[in-house]
Amino acid sequence: MKKKMFAAMMAAVLAVTGLTGCGSSASEQKAQDQAQADVPTEPFGDAVKYDPSVAINDGKDITVELWEWGSDDLFQKVIDGYTAIHPNVTIKLVNNPWEDYWTKLPLALDGEKGPAIFNVHNSYHENLINYMAPLDIPLEDLQADFTGVDAHVIDGNVYYIDYGMMTGSVYYNKAMWEAAGLTENDIPKTWDEFREVAKKLTIKDGDKLVQAGLNFNDDFHQNYLLGLNYQMGENLFKEDGKTPNIDSDAMKKTMQMLVDMYEVDGVGSKDFGEKGADSFGQGQSAMVIQWGHYYNTLKTTWSNIDFGVFEIPTFDGNPYAYNRYNGESTFGVNKNAPADQQAVAQDFVKYFLANDEAQVEFNLAMSTFPAKKSLASNEKILENPSLKVLAEHIDHYIWPGPMPSTVETSLKKAGQDVFFNGVDIDSAFAEAQANIEKDMKNSSFVSVENLYAYAE
Amino acid sequence: MFRKTHPLQSRSEIVLRDIVVIAMVIFFTVFLIVPIGIAFVGSFHEWNPLSGTYNFLGLENYKEVFTSALFGKSMINTVIFSVVVIIFRVGLGLGIACAINSALIKCKSLYRAIYYMPVVTPMVAVAFVWKFMYNPQIGTINQIFGLDVNWLMNPKTALLAVMIMTIWKDFGYAVVMFMAGLLSLPADAMEAAKVDGASSWQTFRYVTLPLLKPMTLFVVITSIISYIQAYVQILIMTEGGPGTATYLASYIIYDEAFVKYNFGYASALSFVLFVITAVFTWLSFRVSGKQD
Repeated sequence: MKKKMFAAMMAAVLAVTGLTGCGSSASEQKAQDQAQADVPTEPFGDAVKYDPSVAINDGKDITVELWEWGSDDLFQKVIDGYTAIHPNVTIKLVNNPWEDYWTKLPLALDGEKGPAIFNVHNSYHENLINYMAPLDIPLEDLQADFTGVDAHVIDGNVYYIDYGMMTGSVYYNKAMWEAAGLTENDIPKTWDEFREVAKKLTIKDGDKLVQAGLNFNDDFHQNYLLGLNYQMGENLFKEDGKTPNIDSDAMKKTMQMLVDMYEVDGVGSKDFGEKGADSFGQGQSAMVIQWGHYYNTLKTTWSNIDFGVFEIPTFDGNPYAYNRYNGESTFGVNKNAPADQQAVAQDFVKYFLANDEAQVEFNLAMSTFPAKKSLASNEKILENPSLKVLAEHIDHYIWPGPMPSTVETSLKKAGQDVFFNGVDIDSAFAEAQANIEKDMKNSSFVSVENLYAYAE
Repeated sequence: MFRKTHPLQSRSEIVLRDIVVIAMVIFFTVFLIVPIGIAFVGSFHEWNPLSGTYNFLGLENYKEVFTSALFGKSMINTVIFSVVVIIFRVGLGLGIACAINSALIKCKSLYRAIYYMPVVTPMVAVAFVWKFMYNPQIGTINQIFGLDVNWLMNPKTALLAVMIMTIWKDFGYAVVMFMAGLLSLPADAMEAAKVDGASSWQTFRYVTLPLLKPMTLFVVITSIISYIQAYVQILIMTEGGPGTATYLASYIIYDEAFVKYNFGYASALSFVLFVITAVFTWLSFRVSGKQD
């Protein structure tokens, strides 16, 4: 009896396994068929067009490497789309963590076996530009399709552009907002209104802060000092594009406002919540100003926080520009790679730029507003609240260019000197100005603030 | 290559010696002498290896080192940091080693292992844990002592907080060293002191301490070399802040080389620091020699 039972069970297991196997094969086949069906055969894109019917490397097999520092799935999906069109091309994805990437990449590019394609971050522009080949795409096509291309033109060539624009917005905790009796109508438009809202969101137990209405600890330099100057019509660099404009009225006014928010309004404290971003995620602080990447951080790291997003306030409702933005860059092509590999790399970049689906996915993954003009009103993009709030004024944000890191680090030190070391604002910013000038004396950086569409 | 100098040396011994010596010479040449040479030459250049910049500047980098207010401030911080930590490392190490060495204490190896545990724990891990302990909201230090201090962001306490962590992590090394020294003291000297009627304090002051002098000198010199190079705890716990309040000399080198990619200036700083370390070490030997 037992033997019969065992045999029956085994038969059932085999049958189920067999069915499952058939199911898997069927679904795999279906996916393959679907992928095959999705392979474009007609040219696509706006001004930058991609023609899938053009053979690559004369149809002969070729392998190239693509280096990046994260989001493997995202890259792999684009690679899969491209290699489905060109089965003779193999693109090997190589992930190097961010910390190693910027040391390994320039060394690899300096040799003969560096990757033909590599992900770029514009903060490392000076270290990469000498290894990059200009994009083999007409400049006017890029300009027609993408915002901010002019800022990337070097002697008539473009080596990479932005696929997305990232900037700061206000993130607020919805539960705290409601508990303070605030509604959607209370979303502030000006800094004065913002400060009043922050006061309402602050909870104290005697003198002790229990809930900060606002927290900008550890990132005030990135999210306030380097950006609000534009609202007051002052650039970060003087007319020559090389001299920093740190010891400026706008910068000091912003710093004074930050000090007043903590010390006069009492909406937060330099000693409460070591990092504003973490403090918000941990439910200690009601509002923070963070850049787009924070949206995904909240969704993944602090998924229990119910948050809303609104556009950064202004001083008078009519700013010269709303804030600074930084671009997420397209891939670079290694000029030292063999010619056949470079041809693949150039073709891959064109495929990426013409491919709206890839553009949308990359922008959503990075929480950046698409630089591709035709995607400004894309439904999926506007479903993301951190991007939706930028849509109306996205042309009123300024990219200063790939600033050397000393601008950020020196401003952070200046702010810490004011908050923690008792240094007055004038002295702190005079010192920051001197330090940045010293550090930049041999830099080839030139600001592109003059290319802002509404530059005065 | 090396001539046979002793009749008892076999040929295989000589071959082995030659291989080991040559291997070490090659190793130190490739991984020490050549990089030092490259850095020395680089210290006279504007040098960014990532962008390929390499322009001769002459003594410009060295002039900048000696006129830099930040370097001056960081040297003062480094001296304060080193002196305080070394005093506590040697003092605690000697005191605890003597206590463990006492006849009243059993399980000496256990105590030695316990005190040595922080030494073998990676500095990065220790610094992160202590940073958490110093947290103004949820840190155990404020909770235990009922304080409300932002230890790592207050210019009056930030360097002190890093020093306390460093002392805790490092004094176990001195304990082990001094225990080794105490165990190797000549028994007849101790017995002679006992026969002469010396008290415990007199024995320690006039017999033990002088006999431990070579070990004390060793601990002090290795500590000087180690603390002049200290930067990991600063990088993790304060990043030199608030402002530049906790900048140490080695942290500037890190900052210039690996944040700003200003390798030329960083190399010049390194050589100045190398000379300062050598001078301090020489002074320690001199002071010690004169006392003899």
